[in-house]
Amino acid sequence: MNERELIALLKKKDREAFKIVVETWQGMVYNTALGLLQSMEDAEDTAQEVFMQVYESISSFKEESKFSTWLYRITVSKALDHLRKKKRKKRFAFIQSLYGKNDGQMIEPPDFFHPGIKMENKENAAILFKAVDQLPVNQKTAFILNKTENLTYREIAEIMESSESAVDALLQRAKKNLQKILKEYYQKLD
Amino acid sequence: MEKKFNDKIDKTMSSFDDIEKASPRPFFFTRLEARMENQKSIWEVISSFVTKPMVAFACICLVVIINAAVIFSSSASSASTTNSFSQQNNELATADEYNLVSSNFYEYVNTKP
Repeated sequence: MNERELIALLKKKDREAFKIVVETWQGMVYNTALGLLQSMEDAEDTAQEVFMQVYESISSFKEESKFSTWLYRITVSKALDHLRKKKRKKRFAFIQSLYGKNDGQMIEPPDFFHPGIKMENKENAAILFKAVDQLPVNQKTAFILNKTENLTYREIAEIMESSESAVDALLQRAKKNLQKILKEYYQKLD
Repeated sequence: MEKKFNDKIDKTMSSFDDIEKASPRPFFFTRLEARMENQKSIWEVISSFVTKPMVAFACICLVVIINAAVIFSSSASSASTTNSFSQQNNELATADEYNLVSSNFYEYVNTKP
């Protein structure tokens, strides 16, 4: 069954077609969400939300772009929503702690170890993930799509609905910012 | 010193090279299906409950009973209103017959000794 037939069946709410879609693209969706969210639980949660939305709103997919591009867009938007909610919760917990309503101390999230990183790079990758987390949203998205999904500038531009040159500029800025953040980090450690 | 930092930064920046793609835990689809079942909208739950034959029949019976009760209570209250009117008329007639009611202000004033 090709992609078009699969989507046509999915539009008719065919459960078997939905299962094939999930099993084909679950790795891609999960890996992207994991790169952006840096938490396995949040990535699983977001991946489920993505496929639930795909099932609900497949009729709005006009097939003007590739199905994977549409899927990436939903994943990125859901993951960024998740991040925003998490930050809001963090801020609320901080305010509560100021008023003494939250007895528990603010817990720093543990270092994130991506399961796909080689053993000898784990420590450095955890530091890099922490630095990536400090980047502006657009730079972070472009960097993660490029590095963890190995997407080309053109593919990233399609997902982010911008031009290749804009993506190139975003990635250049992301690299510069990361170098700056890492420099400050290592200087503090020294 | 600067070189030392730059080496560290370069090493850290290249730690994403050859990264392998992560995949979710096994049985992802089963967990997704379970979540979709649990997250049926409230309206779906309500409509599926209301369209059950027993529930629909009970609702119709309830509506009929409420209507009957309203009709019965309104007819009973109108009957009691009619009764109270006729009683009042009788009292007035008796009072009138025995000249107990003053019909105007002049009579009312002159009844005083």
